[in-house]
Amino acid sequence: MDMWTYLEYGAWALSAVLGLLMVADWLRTDSTYSEEVLTSSREGELEAMTEEHHLEGGQG
Amino acid sequence: MARYIAPVQGKVSQLIDVIVLLILSIGALYLPLWMHMAGAAKTPGVVENPTWESLGQNAVQAGQYEALGYTPATAADLITARFDYSFSYLNLIVMVVVIVGYFVMMLKFSETEYREVIAEKFGEK
Amino acid sequence: MTDTDITSQAIDGMGPHGTKVGLLRVLGPAHVWALGVGIVLVGEYMGWNFAVGKGGAYAALIACWFAGILYSCVAMIDSEVTSTVAAAGGQYTQAKHIIGPLMAFNVGLYLTFAYTMLEAANAITAGYLIDQVAGMTGHQGGIDQRPFIILAIMFLAWLNYRGVLATLTFNLVITAIAFSAIIILFLSTSGVIGAGDMKHADLLAGQASLPYGWIGVLAAMHFGLWYYLGIEGTTQAAEEVRSPARSLPFGTLAGIMTLLIAATLTWYVCSGTLPWEFLGDGVNGSVAPLFDTARLSGSQALVWLLGIGTLFATLASANGCINDASRAWFAMGRDRYLPGWFGAVHPVYRTPYRSIVFLVPIALIFALGAPLDQVITFSILSGLLEYTFMPLNVILFRKKWPLATIKRGYEHPFHPLPAITLLALCSVTYFAVFLGYGTQLVAMIGFYIVVSLWFHFWRYRFVNRGAQFTMPWPRPEGY
Repeated sequence: MDMWTYLEYGAWALSAVLGLLMVADWLRTDSTYSEEVLTSSREGELEAMTEEHHLEGGQG
Repeated sequence: MARYIAPVQGKVSQLIDVIVLLILSIGALYLPLWMHMAGAAKTPGVVENPTWESLGQNAVQAGQYEALGYTPATAADLITARFDYSFSYLNLIVMVVVIVGYFVMMLKFSETEYREVIAEKFGEK
Repeated sequence: MTDTDITSQAIDGMGPHGTKVGLLRVLGPAHVWALGVGIVLVGEYMGWNFAVGKGGAYAALIACWFAGILYSCVAMIDSEVTSTVAAAGGQYTQAKHIIGPLMAFNVGLYLTFAYTMLEAANAITAGYLIDQVAGMTGHQGGIDQRPFIILAIMFLAWLNYRGVLATLTFNLVITAIAFSAIIILFLSTSGVIGAGDMKHADLLAGQASLPYGWIGVLAAMHFGLWYYLGIEGTTQAAEEVRSPARSLPFGTLAGIMTLLIAATLTWYVCSGTLPWEFLGDGVNGSVAPLFDTARLSGSQALVWLLGIGTLFATLASANGCINDASRAWFAMGRDRYLPGWFGAVHPVYRTPYRSIVFLVPIALIFALGAPLDQVITFSILSGLLEYTFMPLNVILFRKKWPLATIKRGYEHPFHPLPAITLLALCSVTYFAVFLGYGTQLVAMIGFYIVVSLWFHFWRYRFVNRGAQFTMPWPRPEGY
């Protein structure tokens, strides 16, 4: 067993930890918030406000 | 035009759609690999008892190979391998038809769908 | 409940509203540059050299410059369209507004595949690199690369999950280091400062100049794209940039200039050091050509610098790819082009967290199961289809909304010349791909045809029609 063997185990372990962290947070988020809030994002909403200025200011 | 109200998709149906997409996309990459039609393999030439000279390498080239840790024997396959660029015009025509056909099909379907979108968004003219 | 009221007067009379949790606008132009260049720069550290194998070193240089023209067209066209269509999803959203839903669905898939495959290729390279380092430190018998490949993807997915600002700031730092490493290697070996170590005259003598003749130059275009592939990904950040109309064109065009410089310098030092047969074989020969060039320079410092540069470049690229692929996937989910479940935003981190998690196992399947050149080809083909779409897109854009009707943040010059040039160069590249990977090309387009039919006849029923047109634009001309 040299350093690289330990590093391999370390990489496996760290991958598993990061994966579990993500999955745990994902499940927690899904159960804490309603689906309606989570998927409420709409395309173009902010654009609708910012682009308005361009249309007013730059029509010529 | 009446506004189109999309049906709400159930969980199971959503899952099935994802699985269908996954099978199709993974299939598209792995199918050519499994059928051994992936192509693009280089074929090494055969050189008996290779030396740098018989491999066509000048002194500088040979020097760099040695610096990289190669000998004429270990570098022979690497140096002599070549792609085969011969192709049949029939295959070329098939490819052109497939690509052009794909884009034409897509533009046609898209156009129909797009007119519907514009009609609903801005009202019929 | 109607969450999208297109007749509302509250905002501007056209735009949708109802967002409770959306993506955050926190990025500046430097982040856009880091996203674009970060994804691509790995192409100078690995992969471009397959072009050398296809036609020799000079062929690779010609391909590098022609691909440079191709991408300059891409960047100009993309900057113009995206400076008006600023939403996550980038080219997907462009296609939806300009060509139509089916095209948009296809473009969304091109984007997701191009980036996810590139991410897989990066992880493979990172694993290889760690294996090399293990060998250099005296470890016998090689290491198991899999845990490192998985770790790279997991770590970056986790970073992406936790927020876009940290993700792209991280990218900015490591991209800057990787870019500097190329400059330093060039300065110390090219002879600009002190004695040079370049052997172009001898290494490219005789049959080594154009080993396949001119058809090799054509064939090299296939991997010539790899010098720049992914620069168009800057548009995916559109919904998270503070002022998209200004930052996106600036970041994208600065990015393509950075890459033109990096690509040419890379070609110069590598082809002046490594024999072309070795350089051109990215599987059995030079997997990481800049690293190999540093190894032959005799300087231990350069070996470490370029080793770190290679690792950082692969990580920056995979990082940007996770960012872009998940934005495209998310945007499609939000519009119900894909199951709406994917259209969720994390209420705390403000990232498309479900899309990020979902794409992790897919990247792993390809990173662990497929050979590098196949993965790269899959990525290049998806990119190529996307570049074929762009000229069609911009021509229709100018036709449906002439310059006077919508104010653009950037107008690209000489229209329609860039569009035509781009289309011509794409045709050449299709032929180049056909020369080596014709089966994959047809298999892949077969896939897109099947998927298109599936979308048109099944999936599209779940999409609301008028509501998906979200830009505050006037009615397109001719409709």
